[in-house]
Amino acid sequence: MIKYNGEHLLIGQIGMFLTLLAFIAALVAAFANFKAANANELEEKPWRKLARISFLTNAVSVIGLFVVLYLIIYNHYFEYKYAHSHSKRSLDMQYLLSCFWEGQEGSFMLWAFWNAILGAVLIKWSRKWEYPVMSVMSILQLFLASFLLGIYFFDIRIGTNPFVLMRNEFPDAPIFQDADYLTKYLTDGNGLNILLQNYWMVIHPPVLFLGFASAAVPYAFAVAGLWKRDHAGWVRAAMPWALFSAGILGLGIMMGGAWAYESLTFGGYWAWDPVENASMVPWLLLVAGIHTMLIFQSTGHSLKSSYLFISLGYLLVLYSTFLTRTGVLGDTSVHSFTGEGNSLYWHLLLMQFVFIALPLVLYWRDRKNVPVVVKEESMNSREFWMFVGSLLLLISAVYIIVLTSLPFINKLIGTSWAIGDEVEYVYNRIMVLVTIVLALLTAMTQYFKYKDTTRKYLWSKLLVPTIISAVIGALASIFGDINYDKFGLGYLVAIHIALWASIYTVVANAFYLGSVLKWKMKAAGSSITHFGFGLMLVGILISASKKELISQNLTGILVKGLRDNKGKEDNPLENMTLIYNTPIPMGKYMVTYLGDSAEPKNNKVYFKINFIETDTVTNEVKDQFMITPNAFMIKSETGSNLSSNPGAKHYLTNDVFVYITSWMSPENAKKDTSEFKYTRVNQGDTVFYSNGYVLVEDLVRANKNDNKDLPLVDSAWLSKLNVVSSQGVGFKSTPGYFVQKGFGFSKADTVMEQSLVLNLEKRGKDEVYLGVKESPSVMRYITLKAFRFPLINLLWLGTIIMVIGFMISMYYRLKSKLYAI
Amino acid sequence: MKKTHVLGLVFIAASIAALLTLMDDISTYDSVESARRKEGKFVHLIAKLDTTKPVIYDPLKDPNYLSFIAVDSLGSSTEVVYRNAKPTDFEKSQRVVMKGSMKGEVFECKEIILKCPSKYTDEKVAKL
Repeated sequence: MIKYNGEHLLIGQIGMFLTLLAFIAALVAAFANFKAANANELEEKPWRKLARISFLTNAVSVIGLFVVLYLIIYNHYFEYKYAHSHSKRSLDMQYLLSCFWEGQEGSFMLWAFWNAILGAVLIKWSRKWEYPVMSVMSILQLFLASFLLGIYFFDIRIGTNPFVLMRNEFPDAPIFQDADYLTKYLTDGNGLNILLQNYWMVIHPPVLFLGFASAAVPYAFAVAGLWKRDHAGWVRAAMPWALFSAGILGLGIMMGGAWAYESLTFGGYWAWDPVENASMVPWLLLVAGIHTMLIFQSTGHSLKSSYLFISLGYLLVLYSTFLTRTGVLGDTSVHSFTGEGNSLYWHLLLMQFVFIALPLVLYWRDRKNVPVVVKEESMNSREFWMFVGSLLLLISAVYIIVLTSLPFINKLIGTSWAIGDEVEYVYNRIMVLVTIVLALLTAMTQYFKYKDTTRKYLWSKLLVPTIISAVIGALASIFGDINYDKFGLGYLVAIHIALWASIYTVVANAFYLGSVLKWKMKAAGSSITHFGFGLMLVGILISASKKELISQNLTGILVKGLRDNKGKEDNPLENMTLIYNTPIPMGKYMVTYLGDSAEPKNNKVYFKINFIETDTVTNEVKDQFMITPNAFMIKSETGSNLSSNPGAKHYLTNDVFVYITSWMSPENAKKDTSEFKYTRVNQGDTVFYSNGYVLVEDLVRANKNDNKDLPLVDSAWLSKLNVVSSQGVGFKSTPGYFVQKGFGFSKADTVMEQSLVLNLEKRGKDEVYLGVKESPSVMRYITLKAFRFPLINLLWLGTIIMVIGFMISMYYRLKSKLYAI
Repeated sequence: MKKTHVLGLVFIAASIAALLTLMDDISTYDSVESARRKEGKFVHLIAKLDTTKPVIYDPLKDPNYLSFIAVDSLGSSTEVVYRNAKPTDFEKSQRVVMKGSMKGEVFECKEIILKCPSKYTDEKVAKL
């Protein structure tokens, strides 16, 4: 046995102990709550005491676990695998929390943490519901603690413990023969995935997990309702929780979207990625459940649907975890959760089975007594249309989750299906139809009364908002310049209708606040929520259909041969290369790469990209701004790699968004101070440079009328050069000069072997100059993509308003006597 | 029949219709050989980057042209052309999933998903 130096074993042992304690306490709490729930008044008291003490013990242990793991990361105890895998010394303080939830153990711990807090709140406030609800919460805590156990049951490892030591995980590694391995070898960790080094990544997982965790509470109340045969009571008690959960989960999902928008390079807040879908589907069901619960409270209808939606909502939280954590999604997700192998797969399957079985068995037991209203809903009633909306939410949830589950389905039935060519369109074309109906329902349903509504009342209230939104919608369609026709006219029309319906949602709910509710906050929650939801839809529709590629590359093909059909107007390529200090036109901007500055501590580089918009007539500068995207340089055996973080210029009405896709390798990034030397040339001329000469073999003037192969410019000077070095080796080069919409710009070409940059310029009338630049090193350049997202702020604003609406609803329900539990 | 039942049926019919429209968009995971057999059809090709052959990407000449040789697990290989920038960590990838179709001898790729070795792999420690 070697006595190792410098290890901090005590803190890990405390962590190990707390894990076990949390597990056992959850077990005791589940049992005690179960006994208390079924006990009569006399027997109840001792069980109550045990149940509360054991759950609170669990809660304290989980919080303790949190602190212990944080201390291990904070103090850089790299003898622990978790710290070694997920952090490193140079990491900024604020990202230490991201390390925490990068790993699977930390995520489960975060989940258990919120569950513990919610459980403690429930003990205090759920009164007669305490025991059955806390039974469910305790079973949940039991499962979550078991994911952290990491103990062997015969040959199967149950869970993974975050406090394992490197030397126990890799006992054969030679470094552990050395008693001083910590000071000699394991001096630093592997660090945090750079995509997670973003402030959204610090705050969005806790919010998202609070959403996931709180979705358990309405589920627990539903189970409790079935168990205690109180089919009406649970709805009332669960309502504020369901509202809370829908609000927080919605916020968490959109914060995830904000993270994707700001740090992922696919340039958008939503890509129908499995991980995103998996978080949205429970939200859809939760919202459907809230609506059926409301119907039940007002009319007695839709109780069975409420049980179904609320249970299904939580099951989908578990199923999502299963999909995203066990690696069954395999090749389809860009999010890199690693599969934790078979043990977690079965572990999560078991958990899902238990949580499906609970409501099913209890429902079956009491199926005869679940009240059903025989009388039908009237078509003129609010409940009818709310139910339609809930069904629609269910259907869209099913559609999304079936598509997302394709890899899992493949695994089950041995197929090899995948979504084809246009993944986003496959989702969007259905969702745009859903949006139309859903937005219309959201606009109009509130104006219906429960049970029955007279046509006259309906039209008197709906007429004004309908006319106003029709006008706004028409204006948006006519002047909004929405012409996304990539997928045909039908889809474009659907987008326009959806936009109109979403505007209707916004206007109608704003009017409802004033004309029906008279601005009374007490009942305003739902209208505010719907108003925010409508704004989100408008923001989504506009920013998605009007997203504009600024870095349209229509000239990059010149070198590859003029006959290439790529890079034409209907199929622009996305990347543009910018040579240091050489302005290039992009959209309405002249864009210049002005340099870069390194931040050596993190291997981070900031790029200065200058955008100038000039008036086409007066040539005055209308707008000028600098965008500084950054990138991490990752050094490896195969050379340096770039991991890019987008930069953006935010305007109130649109965002210009840039990220770097390629950069010259930084080893060569010496200051490039050389200048172009220009010589006026004609065909057949020769220009000398330090190591040889350039022969102008061909110089032609072309325009789009006489040269159909010309890229999408109005006219051009094209050249064919032969560069001959003093060693007698010849190189071909084809710089050009383009004129597009009155702007002239050069398309430089390089002869890397000779460190030459060649450039054409037209000066005066038909005088062509050849520029030759000899770089001491290789040239400085970057390649980038740039997009514009219009009105994306509506999406963020809508999200915030929607969440506020949920919270207002929750607040007034908690205050109201009707909802007192 | 109650209205809600009718409604339910309508919705079920609608969702079946929605799922049926998918049939056109379903593609499959393929090897190089089976992708060759389906020339022109959109497939997901699972393969590895052949690191012994050069990867061609010169952003100065054309930032939207990446070409390389991919080898699948059965040993067949094909040239791949991807008209976009070279993805981060491309050379480090263990496996690439390429969405696109065979055009003659070349696989025209529309999207690449890289499977990189998790940087928390154990090899590193074992090597020390």
